[in-house]
Amino acid sequence: MNWYPVFYREMLLFKKKLCKLGYVFSSLLFPVLYLVAFGMGLGRRVNIEGTGYIEFLIPGIAAMTSMTNSYNLVSNSLSMGRLFFKSFQVVIQSPLPHFSIMTGIVFSGIVKGALASAVIVLAGLIIFRAFPFSLVSFLGLLLNLILFSSMGVVAGLLIRYPEDNAIYTNFFIMPMAFFSGTFFPVDNLPAAVKGIIMFLPLHYTNILIRSDELSKEVILPISVLLAVSITLFLCGAKLIKNYSE
Amino acid sequence: MIRTENLTKYYGSKCAVNSVSFNIRKGEVFALLGPNGAGKTTTIKMLTTLSRPTEGKIFINNLDVVVDQLKVKRLVAVVPQVGNFDRELSVYENMLVYGMLYGVKEPGPKIEKNLDALGLLKERDTIAEVLSGGMQRRLLIAKALLSEPDVLFLDEPTVGLDPHVRREIWDIIRNIRNNGKTILMTTHYIEEAEMLCDRIGILSHGSLIAIDTPGNLKDNIGRYVVEIPSSNGSGRTERVICRDRAEAEETARRSDNRVVIRPANLEDVFIQLTGEMVEG
Repeated sequence: MNWYPVFYREMLLFKKKLCKLGYVFSSLLFPVLYLVAFGMGLGRRVNIEGTGYIEFLIPGIAAMTSMTNSYNLVSNSLSMGRLFFKSFQVVIQSPLPHFSIMTGIVFSGIVKGALASAVIVLAGLIIFRAFPFSLVSFLGLLLNLILFSSMGVVAGLLIRYPEDNAIYTNFFIMPMAFFSGTFFPVDNLPAAVKGIIMFLPLHYTNILIRSDELSKEVILPISVLLAVSITLFLCGAKLIKNYSE
Repeated sequence: MIRTENLTKYYGSKCAVNSVSFNIRKGEVFALLGPNGAGKTTTIKMLTTLSRPTEGKIFINNLDVVVDQLKVKRLVAVVPQVGNFDRELSVYENMLVYGMLYGVKEPGPKIEKNLDALGLLKERDTIAEVLSGGMQRRLLIAKALLSEPDVLFLDEPTVGLDPHVRREIWDIIRNIRNNGKTILMTTHYIEEAEMLCDRIGILSHGSLIAIDTPGNLKDNIGRYVVEIPSSNGSGRTERVICRDRAEAEETARRSDNRVVIRPANLEDVFIQLTGEMVEG
């Protein structure tokens, strides 16, 4: 339980931010808007692979929201704390092992991302009376949260200026949100683009989150997400261990 | 208690700390004195595990700071120059989080006691961000003392504070010293180093150029200074350092201008050794 103080600190800070309009707008406004606009605009007319567009869209936006929130909230909190407020140094200088610090931050990222995804799931249920999720979906969501929280730690520790966060988000996270099967199936894209998409973790989350059961088809997505999550987690822990100013 | 051997830090090709070696005894208050950019904060960062030395060794209580990081972290606490508390959290929440990070058992009563000792009990539920500069510095000290460290590092503890708040912080540091803690502080305030410290190390351009008690440092350059205003109207004052009062009076007699004879201070020591001013 050495990770708990780090998790507790992140949650205390998160609780304060939750009530602020800035957090609500930056974290939830766009996903909810996408859900409502695309869902109402295309939901009744479009069918994808035999299922309604709403049933396709809601899991995609839930996955995207879990990615953007776990990644952004972790990397922003860490980079601002490290570069601007110097409050991350208090954690680094405390007598906690690097794995505990990493675990505490990643758990906090999981909670932050899961809360945002829950809002999307609820919105889908309330607005469209749709709940297109299975147990495998939640496994996919969990792996996605671990992966992008870990990625947030790595990015938060690597960036040299707070504004660099926007570069990672605009050139990596946002394109991934649009091209990994969130709003439309990747099968329709040109072969060259599909080749690139195979390297994007969100693509595998989108496969998992739309799966009904554990079958042969989910072995690859689970393996990829697990492997990338473990790699990023270990990278983050190593960066914490070797932290030096 | 603290020992450094040829401690060196490079940032790229720039040498921030150059082969610094010193030894601090248990219960001693030691100051690293020097102007901005002398390498004081970099030295503190290396001593407190925040920055890895490029070369050299640091031992705290005979533990290698790089090899035995976690054990060292349990022994030390840092009051940094920049208020590194969580701004959105209350004073109590900041203390609680710090206590949890350091594994303080039943932190509640200890937090209350520390807040009381530092005059912050009334501000218990105040958001840290809105505290005055002096209060914020007290919070940093209260936090640092919560883990009951053997060694306390204070990086420029009174920089930017009003004179009366500075004196309050000095009283707090004296109390900490009286409780037997080893203190290493950095400062560029001569008076602060002179009043609070048993020994002083003078840093200039990353190198430790002198280390001794304030009294010995002054004795080594001469006990008196004769200030002789320039006769060409430039407004400059020449300082002549003299071994004793008799030599100072003799120097004064030789001058045509109105001169001032005064006891030497650490500023004179610093200027004599480096040719620079400490307080810029």
